[in-house]
Amino acid sequence: MDRRETIKNILLGSIGSSVLLESCVSSLDNKVLDKIWKYQYGRTPEEKKRDNKFLNSRFFTESELQTIEKIANIVLPPNEFGDINDAGVVEMFEFIAKDWSTPAHNDYGEKVLRRGLIVFNQLCVEKFGSELLNCTEPQIKVLFDEISYEDNSLKNQKESVKLFATYRGMIVTGYFTSEVGIKDLGYKGNTPNVWDGVPDEVLEQYKGIVSYDKEWIDKCVDQSKRGDIAEWDNQGNLLT
Amino acid sequence: MEIINNSLKYDVIVVGSGAGGGMATKILSDAGLKIALVEAGPYFDPANPDQMTQMKWPWESPRRGSGTTRAFGDFHMSYGDWKVEGEPYTIEKDTSFRWWRSRMLGGRTNHWGRISLRFGPKDFKSKDYDGLGENWPISYEDIKPYYDKLDKLIGVFGTKENIFNEPDGFFLPPPKPRLHELFYIKGARKSGVTVIPSRLSILTKRINNTRGVCFYCGQCDRSCSAYADFSSSSCYVIPSLKGGLVDLYTNSMVSEVKTDKNGRATGVSYINKENGREYSIKGKVVVLAASACSSARILLNSKSKAHPNGLGNSSNLIGKYLHDTTGTGRSVFIPDLINRKTYNEDGVGGMHVYSPWWLDNKKLDFPRGYHIEIDRSFAMPQYGFGYNPNELNRFFGLKVGGYGDKLRQDVKKYYGSIIGLSGRGEAIPRKDNYCEIDSNTKDKWGIPVLKFRYKWSDYEMKQVKHMHDTFEELAYNMGGIALGNKPTKEQNYGISAPGEIIHEVGTTRMGDDSYNSVVNKYERLHDVDNVYVVDGGPFVSQADKNPTWTIMALSWRTSEHIIDQLKKQNI
Repeated sequence: MDRRETIKNILLGSIGSSVLLESCVSSLDNKVLDKIWKYQYGRTPEEKKRDNKFLNSRFFTESELQTIEKIANIVLPPNEFGDINDAGVVEMFEFIAKDWSTPAHNDYGEKVLRRGLIVFNQLCVEKFGSELLNCTEPQIKVLFDEISYEDNSLKNQKESVKLFATYRGMIVTGYFTSEVGIKDLGYKGNTPNVWDGVPDEVLEQYKGIVSYDKEWIDKCVDQSKRGDIAEWDNQGNLLT
Repeated sequence: MEIINNSLKYDVIVVGSGAGGGMATKILSDAGLKIALVEAGPYFDPANPDQMTQMKWPWESPRRGSGTTRAFGDFHMSYGDWKVEGEPYTIEKDTSFRWWRSRMLGGRTNHWGRISLRFGPKDFKSKDYDGLGENWPISYEDIKPYYDKLDKLIGVFGTKENIFNEPDGFFLPPPKPRLHELFYIKGARKSGVTVIPSRLSILTKRINNTRGVCFYCGQCDRSCSAYADFSSSSCYVIPSLKGGLVDLYTNSMVSEVKTDKNGRATGVSYINKENGREYSIKGKVVVLAASACSSARILLNSKSKAHPNGLGNSSNLIGKYLHDTTGTGRSVFIPDLINRKTYNEDGVGGMHVYSPWWLDNKKLDFPRGYHIEIDRSFAMPQYGFGYNPNELNRFFGLKVGGYGDKLRQDVKKYYGSIIGLSGRGEAIPRKDNYCEIDSNTKDKWGIPVLKFRYKWSDYEMKQVKHMHDTFEELAYNMGGIALGNKPTKEQNYGISAPGEIIHEVGTTRMGDDSYNSVVNKYERLHDVDNVYVVDGGPFVSQADKNPTWTIMALSWRTSEHIIDQLKKQNI
C-alpha cells in the first residue's frame, strides 16, 4: 500500500467517496507526460508543460556541471548521510538555471550561475594556472578561504565574494531540501501524527526558562477524544 | 461575436466559488433552489491526488519548492497570485496595489491561513469611537447568530476568553503551544501584551462524519486532502454538487451582468476560457462573489441605458473605499533555542497562539488596532533554507561565512531558533483609495481591466511603527534579539504594499443611504432589487480581523434573505 493510501485509511475513516473523484482533465497527453516525469505533485497543465520543457533541455555543459559538483562537494563534504549527488544538488542547479532565465529573474542562469563559474575559473587560472575542475582540493580551499568569509551584503563587495555567497546559498538550500539533507538536519515532520505538546524530555531541558501552565493546557484538546463528534451547550461549552 | 444563450433559467446565479460564493451556493441549494455557480478557474478538489501538494517533500519539486510559478512556493495551493497570466491590471502613478487572484474552485479559501476571527461589537461601530470612516448599518447582534451557525457547521478551534471586542464562539479545543510559542507567551506576558490560543478553522476534533480530523502536518496552505481544514471547495461546493441542484461552470470568466430595459438583472455573460467564446446564462437573482475587486469590475463593466456608469453605481462609489489590512513583520532570534533537539513540531497549519489587540487607542497616536501572529520556527525546509546559513554567528563573535563541515554544523545549530512576528492591523477606508475601469487596457478575454489607486495614510504608518516598537519589546522579553534594523520613516516603517496582506475589501460598501453606499444591509444593490454582493466588497471597515469569517456569516445571512424574498415572490 502506498503512503497516500495509508494516510487515507488511517485518517479519513468514513469519509465519503467524493474524495476519490478523479481529475476530469487527464488526457492521453498528460498520461504520457506523467510517465516520463519523475516529479509527481499537483501541477496545473501549464506548470507541467513549463517544467517539462526545462527537464528536457540542457543549460550547463558537462564540464560546467562537474565544476558545480566539485564546488558543492567542498562547500558541503560527504558525510554518513550522503553526498551532493545523493542530494541532487547539481540537478537542481541545472533546473533553476533554466527556471530563472527570465527577465523577471534578471537572467539568473546566465548572469549569476554561469557568471559564477567564469569568475571562479578565472581566479583559479590566475592563482594555480588551471581551471577549477583541474585544481586540487587544497588549491580550491585556498581560493574559498579568501572569498567565503567576506561580508557579501556590502554594496561594493567584490563580484567573486557575492557569487560565492550565491553558490553557497544554493548548495546549502539544495542539500537541506533533499532526502539526505533533511535526515542530516533532523527534521522529523511531514508525516501524519497527533500533536500533544512539546515532548517531556525537551520541556525538562527548558525547565526554569519556559514551561506549560496548567490553566492553558486544561483548555487544549484532549487527544483521546478527538474522534468524538463535537457537541456544545447553548453557551458554547464543549460537551464531548 | 455571437453569444451562445443557455435557455435554462436558474433561480440564482452565483459568480465565484470562494468563501462568499461557496457559502451562498450551499445555503441556497440546501433550500431547494436551482443554482448556476460560475467560477473563473478550473475544478479543484483538495483530495484529488493529481492536484494535491500536501505531504510532498521539497525534493519532489525540481525547483525545491521555490516560488517561480506560485508566489508563495511551488506547493502552495493557489492557481494564480498577484499575477495572473493574460489578466493584467494597471496602477495610478505614484501609488501601489498588488491584486491577488486564485483562479480555482474554492478560490483563496484553498490557501488561506484559516484565521477565523469574529468582528466584535466595536468593529461595526468604529466611527462612534474615533469619528473616522463610517459605521456599518448592522451591529454585532445582527450577525452573531450566523457566526454561531458557522462555527458549528465548519469548526473553529479557540477558547472562551470573555474579551469584549473578541467575541467567543462555539469552539473546538485548541492544540497545545509549540516550544517557540512558549517563548512568545513568556515575552508577551512580560510586555503586558494579551496572548491567547489562536482561532483557526481546522478540525482538532471531529465535527461530522464526512470530514477528517487534523493530522498535524502543518500544511493547510496546501489545502487538506482529508478536508480537516476549511476550504470552500471541500466544505461547500463539492458537497453541494451532490444535491443535484447546482450546475457548476468552471473556467468561465464572467464579464458582465445582463439587464432588461428596466434595469433589472436577467443573468450574466461569461467567456468560456477553453474556447474563448462568449455565453450567457439567465437567472432570477444574481449573486456576485468574485472577490471585492472582481465584483466591482463586473458591475462597472455592466453598463446599460438604465445604468450608464455601471450597474448599481448611481452613488459613484463602486470601487471606492478599497482597503487592505496593514502589515509588517520582524524576525526574532532566540539564543536559548540553538542546538535544539529535533522532533515533529509541525502542528496545525499556522500558529497555536496569538495576540489580539490589547491597547486603548485613546492613549496612542493612531486609530484602530492590530493583532500579532507568530510564525513557525521549526518548519520543513524549502528553497531558500540556509541562505546566509551562519549569519547569527556575529552575535557570538564567531566568524560568519566559510564552508565545509563547520558550515553544516552552523546550519543545524541555528535551525529552529528564529521566530517570525507579524502585525496585522486595521486601515481607515478612504474614498480616494479605489479601483476603477482602465478603458485603455483589456485582458486576454477582451474584458476591460482594473486600474488601482491606493496610498497609505499617516494613520497606517504610525500603526506599523508601533508594531515594530512592540516587536522589539517582545523580542527582549522573550530573551531574544529582533533581527535587522527597525524600518525608518523613509522606509515607510516597513508597511506592506496595499494588497499584499490579501484582505482587500470595501469596494461595494454597505449602508442605509443609497447616496453613501452601494449595497443595503442585506448586501443587495440599492439600485437593483435582484443583484447581491457577498464577498468582501460590502465591508464598511474590516477591523484587524481576517475577513473570511465575516464574509461567510454575511453571505449566509444574505442567502436566507434571498430565500425569503423568493418565497414572497418579491424578486
